[in-house]
Amino acid sequence: MKRMRVVVAFLCLLAGCGGGGDDGGGFTSSAGSIPISVGTSSVCVTINELCASVTVCQPGTSNCQTISDVLVDVGSVGLRVFGSRLSVPLTQTVDAQGRAIGECTFFADGSTSWGPVQIADVVLGDAPAVRVPMQVITPTFGGQSVSSNPCNDTVDSDPDAASLNGILGIGLFRQDCGSVCAVNSNNTLYFSCQAASCAGAVVSVVDQVQNPVWLLPSGNNGVVITLPNVPESGAPSVTGSLILGIDPAASTTPPSAVLPTNANGFVTTVYKGRTFAQSIIDSGSNALFFPDASLAGCPMPLDPFYCPPNALHLSATISGTGGGQAVVPFQVANTQLLVDTQNSAYNNLGGDFSTFDWGLPFFLGRTVFVGIEGQSSSLGTGPFFAF
Amino acid sequence: MRVLICAAMLVMVLAPAILPSAWGALGQSSTTVEDDRAKLHGVHQRRGGISYSIDTITVAGLEINEYVSSDGMVFAVVWKGTGVPDLKLLLGEYFEAYREEVAAARSRKPRVREPFRMKSDRLIVERVGHSRSLWGRAYLPSQLPPGIRPEDIQ
Repeated sequence: MKRMRVVVAFLCLLAGCGGGGDDGGGFTSSAGSIPISVGTSSVCVTINELCASVTVCQPGTSNCQTISDVLVDVGSVGLRVFGSRLSVPLTQTVDAQGRAIGECTFFADGSTSWGPVQIADVVLGDAPAVRVPMQVITPTFGGQSVSSNPCNDTVDSDPDAASLNGILGIGLFRQDCGSVCAVNSNNTLYFSCQAASCAGAVVSVVDQVQNPVWLLPSGNNGVVITLPNVPESGAPSVTGSLILGIDPAASTTPPSAVLPTNANGFVTTVYKGRTFAQSIIDSGSNALFFPDASLAGCPMPLDPFYCPPNALHLSATISGTGGGQAVVPFQVANTQLLVDTQNSAYNNLGGDFSTFDWGLPFFLGRTVFVGIEGQSSSLGTGPFFAF
Repeated sequence: MRVLICAAMLVMVLAPAILPSAWGALGQSSTTVEDDRAKLHGVHQRRGGISYSIDTITVAGLEINEYVSSDGMVFAVVWKGTGVPDLKLLLGEYFEAYREEVAAARSRKPRVREPFRMKSDRLIVERVGHSRSLWGRAYLPSQLPPGIRPEDIQ
């Protein structure tokens, strides 16, 4: 594997490939890969929680720190690390008046993180460092607190309670907000803070928290997540790869379907005749979530997971915007019986929600390609999913 | 127009202090909605129906839909966009119940990463999405007008 990467890098030198840039780039090959795993650490202890390590450096220096237990999250964009787990100094971003920029990040599980936007040199695997704005999760930043802050919410403060040291958002987009935050100060995400007072801030696209992958010199068109499958009773752990850059020709499992998402990153799922136009594919979700009143729910405290008496073989069709679809068979087993095994990775964990969230079970036994917006590959221009 | 929208959002941010009866809050009468909306200068439209109407405000990358029954009560709110609106404003008297449920979900051990959902006879709140596109809704299940199903609240 290592040798192959060296060869690819050499070919890139010869062919001058890489360097996508703002024009949407040309063909880019892999920039390397990062080991990813479920069930191998004492911090990422949640069922089906996919984590990796990332190295963060003080910009322009070799003063670096490897942050372990970082959630590998296709559902968000940008790197976020708890300040309490960070020991290297980073560079604070400021607005035109010199006020420090901070951000509220809202996650689908109802959690919210608050903290400054700072510049770091981020190293993903053996790829070259990229200089990116990232979020340092700090509840007290800007004179704020866990319960009183611009997010109007109780914000995350404890890595152990969150069961992660950080989140590596490697989703469909280049930045976490985009043009909305570049023109509206009341975007509810970005704030500038001075003297314990924070106000909504306009932040240019380049100064927003960035998906580090799209800034790589090569392999910047997206990522590929490969994970092995697990038995029906689950597995104590699984280990796979997060490959930087989409190069299906180099993959042992080229995708059979390419699904462009809509501009908001949604795909459409049809399940038992019902259409869910706002479906998400999200490695950061711990299960498959979808509505089916015919499935028995689990009693508390396993609500809202499903507990059918016997494992069910189900199927849904996922389709993209303007073409591409795939029939996806999946299983839902009895959650109580699954958790009784005390395993960590399950491909048949399901729960109730009003739309489709294809969480980690979807990624087990698959190779999933995530194409970043505006970046081209031989599979097309992102945003798309392919598998 | 941009200046107006910014002013509107500023009012929204300041609103807890100056508008004790929050703008278009869940469970409240819609009679205050028009007054408050005038103060907000939001871009809005109304779609009428037989048993309910939908008021939509679009501002700063957010779309907020308020569902108002024919007798003038806000029985559901839906938000979608790059950020999240001030839910203290939108949920009004129901906000504390929501906040307690979020805290409970967060203290669950081990923490589960799933779309947020709280479900009681009184209040249902759901949140899902990803960076660039977050979606949520809150509604009062016992107050739905005839003819509207939960899946119609989008």
